[in-house]
Amino acid sequence: MVDERRYLEPQKDAGRATAENGVVILEGPDGVAVTMTAEAADLTARSLHEAAQKVRDGDSAVPSEDDGNLEDPNRP
Amino acid sequence: MRVAEPWPTMAAPKVAMLTHNVLRNRAVELSEDERSILESAVAFTRAYPARQIVVRQDVPVDVSTLLVEGLMTRHVDAKDGRRHLVAIHVPGDFVDLHAYALKRLDHDVGALTNITVAVIPHAALQEVQLHHQHLTRRLWFLTMLDAASHRHWVVRLASLNAVQRVAHFLCEMHARLLAIGRCNAGRFELAMTQSDIGEVCGLSNVHVNRVLRQLREEGLCGVRSGQVRIHDLQGLATVGVFTPDYLYLNRPAALRAVGTPGDHHG
Repeated sequence: MVDERRYLEPQKDAGRATAENGVVILEGPDGVAVTMTAEAADLTARSLHEAAQKVRDGDSAVPSEDDGNLEDPNRP
Repeated sequence: MRVAEPWPTMAAPKVAMLTHNVLRNRAVELSEDERSILESAVAFTRAYPARQIVVRQDVPVDVSTLLVEGLMTRHVDAKDGRRHLVAIHVPGDFVDLHAYALKRLDHDVGALTNITVAVIPHAALQEVQLHHQHLTRRLWFLTMLDAASHRHWVVRLASLNAVQRVAHFLCEMHARLLAIGRCNAGRFELAMTQSDIGEVCGLSNVHVNRVLRQLREEGLCGVRSGQVRIHDLQGLATVGVFTPDYLYLNRPAALRAVGTPGDHHG
């Protein structure tokens, strides 16, 4: 029997935020289900934008001393 | 929740009513003889009002509790003040049989509704273990059911979205209550607030409210005033990615749990 392990991958589907009864509900992807105040939602949105921009700028490399486990998911 | 002053204690009745729902309509069941043996192990019954703690975390225990009537919870209070419901119990569940081996609980056990429990001393369970091997395996099966349920509650929180989680939970409660004859044509009593459901599903009250509205608008089910009415069981099970395998129901009960016509059962 082959053990076909599937690892969590970065999601390609976007989460969806909606306003409901005075709060913001963020749903998905991958089972995310969070209720936030408007202020927390604003800060989260800003943080997401900044992180996404860093990735596009190629500014998200892992420091070399920490990246061993990222190369091979089968390593302990 | 607060520690309960239980309502009056009663001597255990002589008829096998306390254990009627234990393993009822599951893959393995108790024989009448085994029910009688278990019944005679009951020291007394006790009633508790809703929302009170019955067994507190980390307190040494020398009895185990069989739920006879009502709903109970296992819950863990997090350091941030949140209460996490990690299990809901229905009549026939041995809510802390694992305390027989562990001698203390790593969680609280509480009354979600007014409840009646049967209390079995660990000394009596030891007699069962020594003299009734088949019944002992049945009790072991009960704790394995608990473990299976916990595994699926973890997966529900880890991989399902909000609508799926609530649909899955409602399907599970329907299946478990169906198995003990507490469900009629898709209707059953579930004395849980939206906050309780939120604690089970890891959702805020607002989110639960919206999900229940969505399920109602899609014609799948309605939840109001502690009553659940499922209009489309197969649809709800599909939305909730629910299969009852982990509940180890007998075949007729398993078929009915997902809305497939099958043999009727008690």
